[in-house]
Amino acid sequence: MVQARGGEGTGQAATVVTGETVDSGGGWPDSATRFVHKLGQLSSSQILMYVILIILLFITFVPIIYLVALSLKDNGQIYGRFWSMPNPYRWENFGLGSLAIWRPILNSILTSGSSTVATVVLASLSGYVFARHRFPGKEVIYTGILALLMIPPILTIIPAYVLILNMGLENTYWALILPWTSGGQVFALLLCRSFFATLPEEFFDAARIDGASELQSFAQIAVPLSAPILVTVAVVRLVTTYNQFMWPLVVISSPKRQVVAVALTQFTSEIGVTDLGPQMAGYILASIPLIVLFSFGMRHYVRGLTAGGLKA
Amino acid sequence: MSGWRIMGNAARLRRAAWGFALAMVVLLAVAWPLGAQSPEGLLWQFGSTSRVQAVAITEDGRITAVGSRDNNLRVFDGSGELMWQFEAENSILGVDISPDGQWVAVASEDRFVYLLDGDGNLLWQFKAARPMNNAAVASDGSLVAATSNDLSVYALDQTGNLLWQEELGIGVQAVDIYGSSEKARVVLGSDDGLVTIYSREGRQLLQAGLDYNVRSVSVTQNGALILAGSIDGSAILLNGANGNELWRFEAEDTINSVALAGDGSSALVGSKDGSAYLLGADGTLRHQFRQDSEVLSVALAGDAGRLAVGTVAGASRTYDLASAMRGAERASAQQQRLFISIALLFTALVLAAVWAARNTAAGQQVWQRSSAGPFGVVQAVWSARLSYLLILPTLALLLTFNYYPAFSGLYHAFTDWSPGARTDWVGLSNFRFLMEDRFFLSGFRNAAILVVVSVAKTMTVPLLVAEFIFNLRNRLSQYWFRTLFVVPIVLPAVVEILVWNNIYDPAIGLLNESLKLVGLEEWTRVWYGDASVALGSIIFIGVPWVNAFALLIFYGGLISISNEIIDASLVDGASTWRRFWSIDLPLLMGQIKLLLILNFINAVQTFELVYLTTGGGPGAATYTPALELYYLAMRMDRMGVASAIGMILFFIILAGTIVNMRFVKSSTEYEA
Repeated sequence: MVQARGGEGTGQAATVVTGETVDSGGGWPDSATRFVHKLGQLSSSQILMYVILIILLFITFVPIIYLVALSLKDNGQIYGRFWSMPNPYRWENFGLGSLAIWRPILNSILTSGSSTVATVVLASLSGYVFARHRFPGKEVIYTGILALLMIPPILTIIPAYVLILNMGLENTYWALILPWTSGGQVFALLLCRSFFATLPEEFFDAARIDGASELQSFAQIAVPLSAPILVTVAVVRLVTTYNQFMWPLVVISSPKRQVVAVALTQFTSEIGVTDLGPQMAGYILASIPLIVLFSFGMRHYVRGLTAGGLKA
Repeated sequence: MSGWRIMGNAARLRRAAWGFALAMVVLLAVAWPLGAQSPEGLLWQFGSTSRVQAVAITEDGRITAVGSRDNNLRVFDGSGELMWQFEAENSILGVDISPDGQWVAVASEDRFVYLLDGDGNLLWQFKAARPMNNAAVASDGSLVAATSNDLSVYALDQTGNLLWQEELGIGVQAVDIYGSSEKARVVLGSDDGLVTIYSREGRQLLQAGLDYNVRSVSVTQNGALILAGSIDGSAILLNGANGNELWRFEAEDTINSVALAGDGSSALVGSKDGSAYLLGADGTLRHQFRQDSEVLSVALAGDAGRLAVGTVAGASRTYDLASAMRGAERASAQQQRLFISIALLFTALVLAAVWAARNTAAGQQVWQRSSAGPFGVVQAVWSARLSYLLILPTLALLLTFNYYPAFSGLYHAFTDWSPGARTDWVGLSNFRFLMEDRFFLSGFRNAAILVVVSVAKTMTVPLLVAEFIFNLRNRLSQYWFRTLFVVPIVLPAVVEILVWNNIYDPAIGLLNESLKLVGLEEWTRVWYGDASVALGSIIFIGVPWVNAFALLIFYGGLISISNEIIDASLVDGASTWRRFWSIDLPLLMGQIKLLLILNFINAVQTFELVYLTTGGGPGAATYTPALELYYLAMRMDRMGVASAIGMILFFIILAGTIVNMRFVKSSTEYEA
């Protein structure tokens, strides 16, 4: 599979990331275009496929349609006329929902964002060192780091919680940022090291001859060249941390510092919203950061996850 | 080239996994002989079949008085020899002994309060209308205070004359005395949560209010500090001068008895939760003496460093503080030994690496380059200091937040762990507990079901959809279907579950409403509340399970299949069906393997899905191990058992991962 692509000597082929296979935003793969025929010549099997796909698509979208519909109704409309369209449209639900949810959304953006930035900085730095430096114990240390991929969060969650308690960080943003930064590094380091290892040695030789220090060649050659992989790491980490539920539930108890994934589940108990409409509106609002992120980063997300997984 | 790297990493990872498993085995082998520890510091114990409702100890710890339900007061010397015995007409409910052991006040259910001298001779007795439930005596025997079930407190002088009586009109059983002769004061705690200090004449000097019924009070000899234990499980230290709260300690259940050292340097709290807690002067827990049953009464001899505990099961035990603390130290020494073993293990690994370096061809090269000998290595390390410096932050974080918790979890799985309070090695008893915990067992079964179902879900519908989209002849429809099927990924995972909660809502949920609409009213039900369908409902969430991630991965795999192969199959006249089995599926093995392992790992750790829907109910029907772990750790403070669950799941995941890497062939290996 990978070898099949190996022949394409473009600059991008340097990507060791096998997720390239899903890279279809640009030109269409030949294998697909060969199947393009005129619409009118649909065979019965084609029609069957269309029908099944449309049915599946519809069922997939039922919860989303339901969510949007409820978010525009008030309780009277929901209980009284369950099946009718929202009438009138209760746009103010979104106002009420946002009142309850804006703070957790900001908390999430803050913690996810800062831990992602830290992960990218640290992982690219150490990925560079592991890829380009020679030092005693390198492979042992690297293997030691990779071994962490074998440790599931369920094993560490309770001891890590106790550690956070002992450090006095319970109920602070640090309780989220530090472990997330640390945990994300393993996978990020794996990607970064693989990528840096493919960068041609000549670039760095040239830089050295020109008198660039090690850090300069890292910052001015390696980082710009590896922007795609760093974006991939960032997108994957943002999505992963934004969706985290169990860890914030354990270490954060104050509603003021709670992240959105947990806050959504405490709508009624903590925030005091009992109407269904504003709640649903809150659910939709909580999705906005992900919508923004996916609208430009979907390809990176899939590529990152595929790469991390296939390598393991 | 890149293919090789993938192989290289897989091999490396496999080796790391084996190494990790090996390290665990060695670790356990090292840790095993440390064994469970016996109760430390126990000087002697007296066991009887009837509950011990009152214990008292002199300040020098030489004399212990034990009052039990068999109507007997037994007085023991420091080595546990019975000195004398006094029999009342009914159960003994309260005992107090003066610091020098010369006076013993006894309250009994036979309605009498007795004052005895140091040799067990009865000096006088005084009768109330109802049983006496507690008594206290001043250090010089000049004042005796007794509380009674007639809701009154009685103060008596040295000769048994009633000095005063106060009818409180509410339950009272907490009483203590400080000072002597004219300066003696009575401290009283009652069921209305009030702690009151009375003078010898019965004048109220100070009153402080607590939130719950006061079950027991204890006061230092100078009256500066008052410890009150209340039924909500808190022991509260009050300033004897103004009644202000100084600190508070929370036990897990009602506090039956409290004792303060004469100088206030330590405190002892006996609780219904089966423990006696030894607290420092600042209220921090110094040691927990766990008993086999509810602790009814405690006594503390500050000077001698001894304490006595009486329990429901009829045991009265006397402990030596210093050796108990040493026992705790020994437990932490065990911990140290364990960490030393870990350090030794790592050293052994490093030595093995050095050996490998000297005895393999590749290693030889490295070895020679670093110019032979330990000095050469030091030099090499020094010259690479920048490299170490740059990876230092990464390593520091990983060691702190990943490695340390992992080892801590594996170690504490064998302990009774209450952070900040105790870490006692208990061997395998956490695992034995889990083997009998129906929530965990049910969770284990459910996790197995969820694993199978989750793998089945991901391997079928997304693959089917990917094949269908791939086989559509119209490029534009391919694009739109692919995009639309992926759209739901923008919903946070939690939102999807919450929306489905609404769909299942028994009152106004989409599912029940739809069933009513099509006339299947009898099919409607409380989906999460019915044990027979609850797990099914949870599994049904997300129907038709077109997992966007799996779809993209399968689709990506399909479009990367080289055109030549597909063309060749067309030329050979292979049907689409045939092509699927003979070409697509084998070439998708890499993707299948990936999704297999990701789904397995995630399903074993299922938490949100049940926490947010049924919460494990009804009964234990939808528990998962991760949910039980959360409840045990966060609601029951049983961190040790929770760690044991974590360890079990870890080994399951490790085994699954190794099996997956070892036995499921991926396409890379096909081609290699």
